[in-house]
Amino acid sequence: MFRTIVWMQWKSTRALVLLTTIAAFALPLFSLKLGLNNYSPVGFVTTMQTVGSAYSILAALAGLLVALAAWRADHAGRHVYALSLPVTRPRYAMFRFGAGLLFMLPTVAAMLVGCLMVTFSGVIPEGLHAFPISLTLRFALATLVAYSIFFSISSSTNRTAGIIVAIIAGVIFAQYLLTVFGDNRQTVDLFDQLSKFIFIRPGILSVFSGRWMLIDA
Amino acid sequence: MSFAIETKNLNCRLAKSFSITDLSMHVPERAVYGFLGPNGSGKTTTIRLLLGLLRPTSGNIAVLGMQVPDQSAAVLARIGYVPERLHLYPSLTVGEAMRYHSAFYPTWDEPWANEMTRQLQLDVTRPISVLSKGETGKLMMLLALAQRPDLLVLDEPTDGLDPVVRRDILGLLAQYVTDRQATVLISSHLVHELERICDWVGLMDHGRLVAELPMMEFKTGLKRLRVSGAPDSLSGSPFTLLVRERGNGVVEEWLVRGWTPSMQQYLESAGASLREVIDLDLEDGFVEMLRASRRAE
Repeated sequence: MFRTIVWMQWKSTRALVLLTTIAAFALPLFSLKLGLNNYSPVGFVTTMQTVGSAYSILAALAGLLVALAAWRADHAGRHVYALSLPVTRPRYAMFRFGAGLLFMLPTVAAMLVGCLMVTFSGVIPEGLHAFPISLTLRFALATLVAYSIFFSISSSTNRTAGIIVAIIAGVIFAQYLLTVFGDNRQTVDLFDQLSKFIFIRPGILSVFSGRWMLIDA
Repeated sequence: MSFAIETKNLNCRLAKSFSITDLSMHVPERAVYGFLGPNGSGKTTTIRLLLGLLRPTSGNIAVLGMQVPDQSAAVLARIGYVPERLHLYPSLTVGEAMRYHSAFYPTWDEPWANEMTRQLQLDVTRPISVLSKGETGKLMMLLALAQRPDLLVLDEPTDGLDPVVRRDILGLLAQYVTDRQATVLISSHLVHELERICDWVGLMDHGRLVAELPMMEFKTGLKRLRVSGAPDSLSGSPFTLLVRERGNGVVEEWLVRGWTPSMQQYLESAGASLREVIDLDLEDGFVEMLRASRRAE
């Protein structure tokens, strides 16, 4: 049963997996090419740090695309087919989740290959070190986090999606009220507080923040 | 009598303006049960409740002796379901859809399914997204039957299909029911279509089950009577008086259920005179019962 679900889901995901796999392979090579444009180790590291955010964005994008593709077919039929199959809902959701996880593997593997190629290219400036395994592991973890979040949002009903949008709108509106009517000297920045809560360890998305360095001192 | 489907006081509120109310239905084992009702009467919602796709607000559902929604997965393994709209994945081809579907049903009959694709002239290499309405209808019925279910739940399976395809699909269904002694719940608003194949009828309106009776009783016992000189109230009537309307002069028109010719004596003993007994076909009966139920609301 799982094999059949993997095969069916692969049909709707393969193009996206190919895209993210190529991107994951190319990103480390691209960052090395940019880094080599700088002559000093400091400039090299600075360029690496700038490109670093692209890794987290790619991880989020890979998770998003595979998660959306996982439910696309079911959304089209308003989940009637899935619900009428003789499988419990949690089991069916786990099958779909598991199938999507498998499709992450080529992207993560491509990232590892790209990172290893950079590491063994022999062009890294002296005094700098490459971290291919730790960067790949971090990329894998970030992809997993993004996939899990988007998978659960994507599986939910329009009502749940509406609640999420309403919460975001509520935060924006509250910030607007605070800015307009609050004391200028003590205005609370909700976005700043929220992003600190989410992105700074142990926030749920902290894996996406910080330094994503393939090559560092 | 044992029932393949039995609900007790089922309630489900989906919106402010629509709910299934106090639904108690009984589908006998091995019966072909026609689930009639106008559009929006609650047939599809009831079917979704029976399959565990929706959760009731209150009440009890037993399907094939198991409780729904608690044992939905086990129940669904023995049910062939054809929904009113295409529910299959459009990116799959006909052959792929069969392969996918078969993975969930250990009882899947591969040789029969292959034979049927040839008989129904379904091209296994064609994507579902490009199938005509008739081909889609055939495929959905094929999938439901090839899993060899004990119970078939068909939600308007022939709606919008041309007569040839409709006949193909109903022929397939009739053959299966004869061979396997399966129970069928088939919803439709095409009354004449059900008249030929059903032995029980349930009539839905405004989320309520208005009537539930054997087809024979529905066809033969529902009459329009033209009566004169009847007293204002009838006591101990052997038939059910659904509607009583004044016609021209002293003649009244009655819609009755459970009528047999011997009941004429009862009318005469009550001082009434029976002028005419008019047979109603199923569609007339359907319309009249709906009217009667709406008047009673």
